[in-house]
Amino acid sequence: MDQPLIDMRNITKHYGRIQALTDVNLKIAHNEIVGLLGDNGAGKSTLIKVLSGAVPLTSGEIWIKGQKAEINSTSDAIENGIETIYQDSALVPQLSIARNLFLGRELRKGPRFLDRMDLAEMNSVASELLRKVGISKNIPPTTPIGSLSGGERQAVAIARAMYFDSDLIILDEPTNNLGVAETIGVLKFVRDARDSGHSCIFIAHNIHHVFKVVDRMVVMRRGKIVADDLDPKTCTIADVEDVITGEDLVI
Amino acid sequence: MQRSLLGRFIDRPEFGPFVLLVVMIVVFTSINPAFISLLNIGNTLAFTVELGLIALAMTLLMTSGEFDLSVGAVFGFSAVVMWTLFNTDIMSLPVAFLTALGIALFIGFVSGVFVTILAIPSFLVTLGMLLVVRGSALWVTDGFPQRSWRAGDQWLAEVLVGDFWICNWTIQQTTCNPGLRVYMSVIWFTLFAILCHYVLTRTAFGNWITACGGNPSAARNRGVKVTRVKIILFMFSSFMAGLAGIISSIRTTAANPNSGAGYELEVIAMVVIGGTALMGGRGTILGTVLGIFILRLMRNGIVLIGVPGLAYNIFIGAIILGMMALHSWLERRHNAGT
Ligand SMILES: Nc1ncnc2c1ncn2[C@@H]1O[C@H](COP(=O)(O)OP(=O)(O)OP(=O)(O)O)[C@@H](O)[C@H]1O
Ligand SMILES: [Mg+2]
Repeated sequence: MDQPLIDMRNITKHYGRIQALTDVNLKIAHNEIVGLLGDNGAGKSTLIKVLSGAVPLTSGEIWIKGQKAEINSTSDAIENGIETIYQDSALVPQLSIARNLFLGRELRKGPRFLDRMDLAEMNSVASELLRKVGISKNIPPTTPIGSLSGGERQAVAIARAMYFDSDLIILDEPTNNLGVAETIGVLKFVRDARDSGHSCIFIAHNIHHVFKVVDRMVVMRRGKIVADDLDPKTCTIADVEDVITGEDLVI
Repeated sequence: MQRSLLGRFIDRPEFGPFVLLVVMIVVFTSINPAFISLLNIGNTLAFTVELGLIALAMTLLMTSGEFDLSVGAVFGFSAVVMWTLFNTDIMSLPVAFLTALGIALFIGFVSGVFVTILAIPSFLVTLGMLLVVRGSALWVTDGFPQRSWRAGDQWLAEVLVGDFWICNWTIQQTTCNPGLRVYMSVIWFTLFAILCHYVLTRTAFGNWITACGGNPSAARNRGVKVTRVKIILFMFSSFMAGLAGIISSIRTTAANPNSGAGYELEVIAMVVIGGTALMGGRGTILGTVLGIFILRLMRNGIVLIGVPGLAYNIFIGAIILGMMALHSWLERRHNAGT
């Protein structure tokens, strides 16, 4: 394997006296979808929060494309090409699709001090993107996010990550609360993102969903990585379940 | 997806207040035609804009998910500060004016810091600030009003509240008949209303304001500086309260340390009647302008049609309840329709 996109080294995280992560090492390659599995409280969300700048790490290093990175805030992570899509804190329901896509990085026109948004351009880029991620219905880019379905919202968030050319897209339980068709849609967006050159970390409790989309599976238990390289093509769901619950450590 | 023009108009938050305003004007005018006279309009406008200036700023602040209960106190305090500094010959009027507004900005800054950085709810922070500021106004003045009649010969007073007449031309006459009396403050109000509307709907900063109120963690995750946005809006609302208080003191030729008491609630009422959400994420300047006129015309109208002025609050309370019911009905209709 040549130089990894992300290289997390000896990551440890304490919440007060709770040790959420213990000496975690994880590499993510370019163009790879990694499924992150583990039971409730295993530390999955904590690990990606550390990577996305939402919580500070206690000790350890994060290297990105061979360079040591300082990630102290979510904007640091975004600048380093890491986009995180949280189920409920990705989008603003009252704002339109286009305004959400460009939130924090609005396109502007006219003199700088007028701070004027280029709404026409933002809307046309948004329409183009919506077509690209294949939202089936013809939804205008001025529609407020609040009137979209859960799957469509995920699609908008993924489209945004793709548009801003992030190297790594992190999805924490993106298929929770979604119907069958919408889940298939989201899995398709994830694969499309990989095919257009992005890497993904995909967290889900539904192992079937993970199996359908990932290149490699990583399993955590009690703040540690217990399996790092499970291949969905060679192992079965039952095997993975055993690793998650710790019934049988032999794979 | 295509809905009729009417359907889309009904879905707008300004729909309810607009209809109410039209109904009020029709009802009041049919009972007492003097309601629509130029004299009455001129007088109503002058009072209206002072609270209106605060309501514009409060709209932006409430859209970001916060509100400020100290605006009435700042309204009274700023004027007191300016006139005390001027009357004791410490400063010239323009310098005293800038100093008073600077203090107002500082008050807003402190509220903003307490709300954002210390994460204390704005209700508690600005309630505390209300008491501190009102107390300071009473303490500085020993409770006595400051005279402000020396404003007469000051250009600053002219710029802020000077008045002029819009001519009432008729075809035959070539001279100017005084028609509508307009105060400079009306011009200021119009300019600020346009500015606030532009900021909220057209600028990136406006996008951030809505995002801060609609989903603060989403805004933060996108690199929006939520803390900074809110502090700026607290400062702006405090600034506008100070400006309004000074304008009012010049118009009424007195700076009373008690003036502005209760204004905070009237201003918040104007804003929510106009369709801005108390909890943030939805704000409309157009609606606020309608809300300002609804409350002011109601106060003015019920007196003109012979209802005792003391009954005013009954009507205002009923309007608030009615408007909230309408907005929540529209919200449900909207969610059901998609
Ligand atoms: N903000 C916090 N403060 C204190 N402890 C926390 C905090 N967040 C998480 N923890 C603890 O850290 C551990 C790991 O939690 P984490 O959210 O990473 O688990 P997870 O693998 O994402 O679980 P789930 O599948 O339920 O989402 C848990 O023991 C949890 O209680
Ligand atoms: Mg989790």
